[in-house]
Amino acid sequence: MLLPLALLSPSLVFLALFTYWPVVEVLWDATHAATRRGTRFVGLDNFAALFADPTFQRALLNNALYALGTVVPSLVLALAFALALNGAGRMRALMRAVFFLPVMIPLVAAAALFLFLFLPGIGLIDHHLARLGFAGANWLGDPDLALAAITVLTVWKNAGYYMLFVLAGLQAIPDEAREAALLDGAGPWQRLRHVTLPALRPTFAFVGVIALLNAVTQVDHVFVLTKGGPSDATKLLLFYIYEQAAERYDAGRAAAATVVTLALLAALTALSLSRSQGPETAR
Amino acid sequence: MISWWKGAALALVAAAGLAAPRPAFATDIELFFPVPVDGALARNMSGLIKEFNDSHPDIKATPVFTGSYDDTLLKTRASIKAGKPPAAVIMSANFLTDLAIEREIVPMDDLIGKDGKTQDAFTGQFFPALLPNAVIDRKVYGVPFHNSTPLLYINADHFKEAGLDPEKPPRTWAELTDAARKLTKREGDRTTRWGLMMPSNYDYGGWILEALTMSNGGRYYNEEYGGEVYYDTPTMLGALTFWSDLVHKAKVHPAGEQKGPAVTGAFLAGQASMMIISTGSLTFIRDTAKFPFRVAFVPMNVRQAVPIGGASLVQPAGLSAEKRAAGWTLIQWLTSPEKSGWWSRATGYFAPNKAAYDLPEMKTFLEKNPDAKIAVDQLANAKPWFATYRTVPVRKAIEDELQSVLAGKRQPKEALAAAQKAADALMRPYVEDTALRLPGAE
Repeated sequence: MLLPLALLSPSLVFLALFTYWPVVEVLWDATHAATRRGTRFVGLDNFAALFADPTFQRALLNNALYALGTVVPSLVLALAFALALNGAGRMRALMRAVFFLPVMIPLVAAAALFLFLFLPGIGLIDHHLARLGFAGANWLGDPDLALAAITVLTVWKNAGYYMLFVLAGLQAIPDEAREAALLDGAGPWQRLRHVTLPALRPTFAFVGVIALLNAVTQVDHVFVLTKGGPSDATKLLLFYIYEQAAERYDAGRAAAATVVTLALLAALTALSLSRSQGPETAR
Repeated sequence: MISWWKGAALALVAAAGLAAPRPAFATDIELFFPVPVDGALARNMSGLIKEFNDSHPDIKATPVFTGSYDDTLLKTRASIKAGKPPAAVIMSANFLTDLAIEREIVPMDDLIGKDGKTQDAFTGQFFPALLPNAVIDRKVYGVPFHNSTPLLYINADHFKEAGLDPEKPPRTWAELTDAARKLTKREGDRTTRWGLMMPSNYDYGGWILEALTMSNGGRYYNEEYGGEVYYDTPTMLGALTFWSDLVHKAKVHPAGEQKGPAVTGAFLAGQASMMIISTGSLTFIRDTAKFPFRVAFVPMNVRQAVPIGGASLVQPAGLSAEKRAAGWTLIQWLTSPEKSGWWSRATGYFAPNKAAYDLPEMKTFLEKNPDAKIAVDQLANAKPWFATYRTVPVRKAIEDELQSVLAGKRQPKEALAAAQKAADALMRPYVEDTALRLPGAE
């Protein structure tokens, strides 16, 4: 009994120090207010102020839209890439590398690249649109388009990464299942619908959680591309927290927003993982 | 027996002392240095610091590049909290008030006194417009290092082509609108060339709007007190409506937020004929533009006026006396007429020290580059830069609304009321602690 504990203790110490202790500190900060004359206990006041803040509501909505806009398309793309490249003969390794390339570019570099692609008028996107006779757009400067522009970058960046997991999932499907379906006379669509997709369900539950966490925890590109603007259009939860803590010096509000974000993420993760239990027991 | 470990500890300390031989009296210091505008500033700064180190063997200074002005503020605050502040920081001039209120930077009067100077003699070296952003509550918190104002840049070829005289750039808002209309080119619905562009991203938009407001006769904030801004005023409404009309009525300025690099990019690519942007970009534009260009004062409505921009050198709180002294030596050296003059020629910023313009190198340079002289002349009309408690979020409050107006989502009047409300809420803790804290009330 003592040996396993002893072996685990280094990790436990680090977990406690860098994960659980900060959580305790965040809870303490969230229930206190730092005024110009010292710190005092304020109960749930910070949370009340947080939910009353229209910018926070906006950040919540933005993040929900962003999660929806990144998770679903990048998973669909990942599946499409994986299906296309699962067989794909001699060019297989090369093609996989091509689709995986965006993943290897650091996020900040990718964002800087898109900053120039998105430049109104002179950027690559507007340049080609103009040649086709379309008017360009102020992709990052129009509050209606900025979040969508950032979503496109994220999908482009992440789809290849999720493809890796789906590929692994595809290769784990036993050949017997496919052969049995073939003997039963199932066409390609029926095989995808009734064999491949159900078998991939645990993979998707896992990748879905990763994608969801990414949608909340990745903000580097927001820093590079828009700084949360124009007019709060790309303000995501993490950026909101950063602004409260670093620019407004409001540790209480930032901590409260952190607690809300953590709770949301924990709930969503628990929900997706519990749902993924279903098919495995049924199999 | 008890003291065996004391002896061991002493021996260890002594060994550590011997094992790390240090050059006699050398003080290692860091200089936080932002890269706010285009060009080869970082390379120039490395060269400057190398020169300092070679001429000061007792100090070893290291430049640390810290990104934009806003990022530099954050990193400085983080380093102060971590107890490892740099000996000097090149800090955006309008952050000094906030830092002084929070006691994160220290006044330099004791060091000035040690040099045998009075405060007046020290501050008298600089252009007067710079002082309200450096002297706070009668104490010297910063030494101006490089400063800027917005400037009007025009493409001389486009002017000729449109039948305008490039030697007579627009001087009033009416002339500016008129020229912008003539310079704008369209193909059907698509605009292929804009008459005028001005940046409206965070950090830049508020500054340009301040220039327009000042040109409209207005003030932006209370120069004496860090808790008041004048967003919801007729002068600012006029300025914001003017910008909005350029976009939505005259259609000579693109809609939505425009980032600084997009504006200079469009100007350099010939897709914008005029732009209002910092003098800090002057050297970059001069080196890059493939067409003749001119610079001029920012056009006025009521009066000729622009805000200063740029940065001062400050010292964070919590430095050891040794590091403070070394940092002060570096600050004195960097802001001397020779060095700040050299930096001005390398970047396009002004040298804040008036004596820099009496040096022969500067006179020759200005004769060769008359565009740099325009920028200096405009300094006579310059006013201090908006600085309050919580400067960055208070500035973002108006910039968010500016971006909404430029995108056509809000009308100027309601935008200004919303910005004023947000700014007042941000500054309330300070106002309640100072202006509203009356004797005998408690």
